[in-house]
Amino acid sequence: MDSSIAEQQRILASDWGGGKSPFGTTWSKFMMWIFIISDALTFAAFLIAYGFMRNISPAWPKQTEVFNMVLITFMTFVLISSSAVMAMAVAAARAADPKKAFQFLVLTIVGGVIFLGCQAYEWTHFIEEGATLTHNPFLPEVPQFTSSFFVITGFHGFHVLSGVVILAIVALRAAMGKYSGDGVENAGLYWHFVDVVWVFVFAFYYLL
Amino acid sequence: MSDHHGEHSISYGLYFKVWAWLLVLTALALGVGYAPLNETIKAFLLVGTTLLKILVIAAYFMHLRYERINLILVTFAPLILVIIMFAFTYPETLGNATHVLQVR
Repeated sequence: MDSSIAEQQRILASDWGGGKSPFGTTWSKFMMWIFIISDALTFAAFLIAYGFMRNISPAWPKQTEVFNMVLITFMTFVLISSSAVMAMAVAAARAADPKKAFQFLVLTIVGGVIFLGCQAYEWTHFIEEGATLTHNPFLPEVPQFTSSFFVITGFHGFHVLSGVVILAIVALRAAMGKYSGDGVENAGLYWHFVDVVWVFVFAFYYLL
Repeated sequence: MSDHHGEHSISYGLYFKVWAWLLVLTALALGVGYAPLNETIKAFLLVGTTLLKILVIAAYFMHLRYERINLILVTFAPLILVIIMFAFTYPETLGNATHVLQVR
């Protein structure tokens, strides 16, 4: 009898025994990671579909001539910078400094809004040139070029928009003093993920 | 649940350094994008810089470096699935791929 209780305690104390989280995180952070993993697969599917369509296309427009690369590079710069500022916001929140956390969060949101503005400008310009989901004015025989553009950057842009909304809520709560280091960090994880996706889009859609 | 590990010790200076490296890698990717290189070499170089960038972001900005190995391994799940997905679709595009282009 004694030995079985000791055995049970030994199991509960182990990493996977059910007595504690094997991941050493809060439940909310772990759920955010699970969400990020599933969302990463969504974008992976988009990018692989894009690669497939591009590989079977007889030709592909030269992106550096179609897009304003200065604008795209600026957007990349803004998103990476806002990601760095977000990391600082998390550090400030962890150090129990709500004022600084709020300032960093506002800077992050400004970065996100600038990014969205640039994207709105890019889309407007692109559509004015005659691009639609099914029509590519630069090389009419490969409509896959514009459809993948609209789907991939559209999905990513919507993620940025959601991120701005989430960060605005977190920033407001930080200003009201109702924030927690964990809450800021979870929002931060999502924001960094959006940045990671853009790194992929930038490299494989715009540069390759 | 208590948060162990030394996240408090992370300084803003480290994030500045990581940010600077990310900008360097972005500039590198941009250079590769414009360089007159063979398409395959270009693809490999871009995959390299991109993987480096996401590793840096995940390790420092997303604090993965300070997490337990169990969580780190979980985050590798999509990578494995992506490799499988790519391995299934890529061979289909080799050779004469017009059989998949019978749309019009």
